[in-house]
Amino acid sequence: MKKYIRNIFLLTGSFIVFYVVGIILFGELTPSLFTQNLNYRIGTYGHSFTRLKEVKDVKDVDILFLGSSHAYRGFDPGIYKRNGLKVFNLGTSSQTPIQTHLLLNRYLKNLNPKLIIYDVYPETFSSDGVESAVDIIANDKNDMNSLKMAFNINHIKVYNTLIYGIYRDLLNLNENYKEPECKRGGCYISGGFVQEKLSFYSKKELKEKKIEIDPKQLKAFENIRKELDKKRIPLILVYSPITSNDYQRYTNNDSFDSLMQSYSTYYNFNKNLNLNDSIYFYDSNHLNQLGVNIYNKEILSRLELIKD
Amino acid sequence: MLFNSLDFAVFLPIVFILYWFVTNKNLKFQNLLIVVASYVFYGWWDWRFLSLIFFSTIVDYSVGLGLNKTSSKRKRKLLLWTSIAVNIGFLGFFKYYNFFLENFIAAFSLFGKEISGSSLNIILPVGISFYTFQTLSYTIDVYKKKLEPTSNFISFSAFVSFFPQLVAGPIERATNLLPQFYKRRVFDYTKAADGMRQILWGLFKKVVIADNCAEFADQIFNNSADLNGSTLLLGAFFFTFQIYGDFSGYSDIAIGTARLFGFNLMKNFAFPYFSRDIAEFWRRWHISLSTWFRDYLYIPLGGSRGSNAMKVRNTFIIFIVSGFWHGANWTFIVWGALNALYFLPLLITKNNRNNMEVVSGKYLPGFKEFGLITLTFSLTVFTWIFFRAENISHAFSYIGGILNESLFDIPEFEGRLKALRTIILIAFFVLAEWFGRKEKFAIANLANVNKKAIRWSVYCLIMFLIAMYMQTEETPFIYFQF
Repeated sequence: MKKYIRNIFLLTGSFIVFYVVGIILFGELTPSLFTQNLNYRIGTYGHSFTRLKEVKDVKDVDILFLGSSHAYRGFDPGIYKRNGLKVFNLGTSSQTPIQTHLLLNRYLKNLNPKLIIYDVYPETFSSDGVESAVDIIANDKNDMNSLKMAFNINHIKVYNTLIYGIYRDLLNLNENYKEPECKRGGCYISGGFVQEKLSFYSKKELKEKKIEIDPKQLKAFENIRKELDKKRIPLILVYSPITSNDYQRYTNNDSFDSLMQSYSTYYNFNKNLNLNDSIYFYDSNHLNQLGVNIYNKEILSRLELIKD
Repeated sequence: MLFNSLDFAVFLPIVFILYWFVTNKNLKFQNLLIVVASYVFYGWWDWRFLSLIFFSTIVDYSVGLGLNKTSSKRKRKLLLWTSIAVNIGFLGFFKYYNFFLENFIAAFSLFGKEISGSSLNIILPVGISFYTFQTLSYTIDVYKKKLEPTSNFISFSAFVSFFPQLVAGPIERATNLLPQFYKRRVFDYTKAADGMRQILWGLFKKVVIADNCAEFADQIFNNSADLNGSTLLLGAFFFTFQIYGDFSGYSDIAIGTARLFGFNLMKNFAFPYFSRDIAEFWRRWHISLSTWFRDYLYIPLGGSRGSNAMKVRNTFIIFIVSGFWHGANWTFIVWGALNALYFLPLLITKNNRNNMEVVSGKYLPGFKEFGLITLTFSLTVFTWIFFRAENISHAFSYIGGILNESLFDIPEFEGRLKALRTIILIAFFVLAEWFGRKEKFAIANLANVNKKAIRWSVYCLIMFLIAMYMQTEETPFIYFQF
């Protein structure tokens, strides 16, 4: 029995070494088709690399925007700048509360915002957070917060990507990477915004769906709320406009609204702002630039109301 | 509890430690631990159905004792039929009630008689077909005086509920497994290491091969009406490996786990896709069920003795019953009947025992053998369409969808590149199985590799492949539903 137990421990140790080396070799040498549970994509669709590089040099903003692509494609810093406000958009692809919490731990101190506007797209509350986690691991420097996030999500893809990400961070392999300013029709605008080439949505059939809140995401969200309260940073929750076609397919919008209202000031712009699906959107849940202009003006006017 | 879950990864070491370090000095305690662990294992899924297992255990234990006390033929028969009625009664109610009801209503309506009856919302207890057959083997063997009944209730309970094979087999015979509970188990390094190897290979089969194939098999079978012939054929191919990886993977994990606790379970799969005819296939596929039906149904019916008509009748009975055992759906009955049709020519021409040994060839099979393997494999793929289809009309429309000019088009479905990766994994798997086909399981011969570094590198590689290619959702084993 002693030999058996000893060999189990030795094999486990050997496997850990083998595994780390294997992940690095797979990440370096294997085409992405064969890396099923390793998803390291630097310079992805949502310009996370450039945004997370830029944020390191930004300090003391008036407004910080958080959330998924609805945030980084929905809040245009130029509009706020023209109104004398210094803002930064820290939205990232499919950002769920777990990643929002991580990014706040990393950057809140430096950004020191006077106000946070957080886009609470329901899908991000029902997501497992894997897609966004691997996006942030690949496009930002990893630290203890990344490890905490990986344990919280507890998914093999996140662990593997983190092992490979740490290896690349340690050897500074991403140092010389330059992300193209424009790709797939979207251009990065300083301040964290991605402006999509103007196009219009054509209606598609969407299946009915119920918003199922993941308890892990809700817990992360509550932690964000508590930490911002402690720091006395005002938080406004917004549900950015999506097409009515998409919005109406959710069967429990009202209960989601009630939940969000219980946490902070909350605006559901799908109820407050009537935007035509085929004019102001480029897909079922993203505003095009015409929609972005109207949406941000509406937010500014609401901010005025709050000031009063 | 699923073998491929974190729960089981915690449960197994705890039971292992308690078994070998706490209860190891007392056989009774060891058996009691097995019973408790097995009830926890099963109750993890739904504790309410533990009462069924407990009731079956009490009935069969009492029947066994009763059979020992009386020599009256009539009383013995009555006791046997009591056991059969209770066990088959449970199985019939939970698994077949709605099927029979719906078919009776349909049959009567054909003759213009409308009868009413409401189907029940019945949850099928996991593994009921497996443990029912296992306990039945006990009462039948005691009745036939092949086995001494046990008066040790804990041993008998452990035999009925033994967690490694409780929910999806192998369906053990009382003559093999029950006596193992009477003897003190001593930890054997070789046996435990062999068990670990088999668990590892079983996990690979399940989480890498079966679950990856399932992604495409499900997608293609669920949208078959919109897909071309070549895609549908590919869907059947994926299901063929899904069901093999899933079920034989479960059996490997079960057998390997049992070995960790010092038990030997029967072999359940012996590289069936390398069979050269259907008779050989059935000697290699789900061996514990095939031999159960052979011993308790086919032979009592007369087996292959008697006229050709008798042979035909017995063959159809055994295959159709075997099909029906899998599920309350006509698809399984047709699946069984098709296999009987494949098997009969071999039986009647007395060619059903031509291929008793595993196919030869050091690196590759001979040309003729390769042809026979390909033919048998293709026939099997065809039958799996019925096994997987939702109903008979779905199966026929699926086959119709394959057999047209679109069979020669390029497959079209979501994730074709990912499917290519799965095909490469299948190729790796088939090669490993081919080179290990003379062993109990594909990587068993690693035990004979003297260099530890090589052995361990292969283990690490398999574990790495599992981590890299596993599907991230915990998916239940297909045979749980049977």
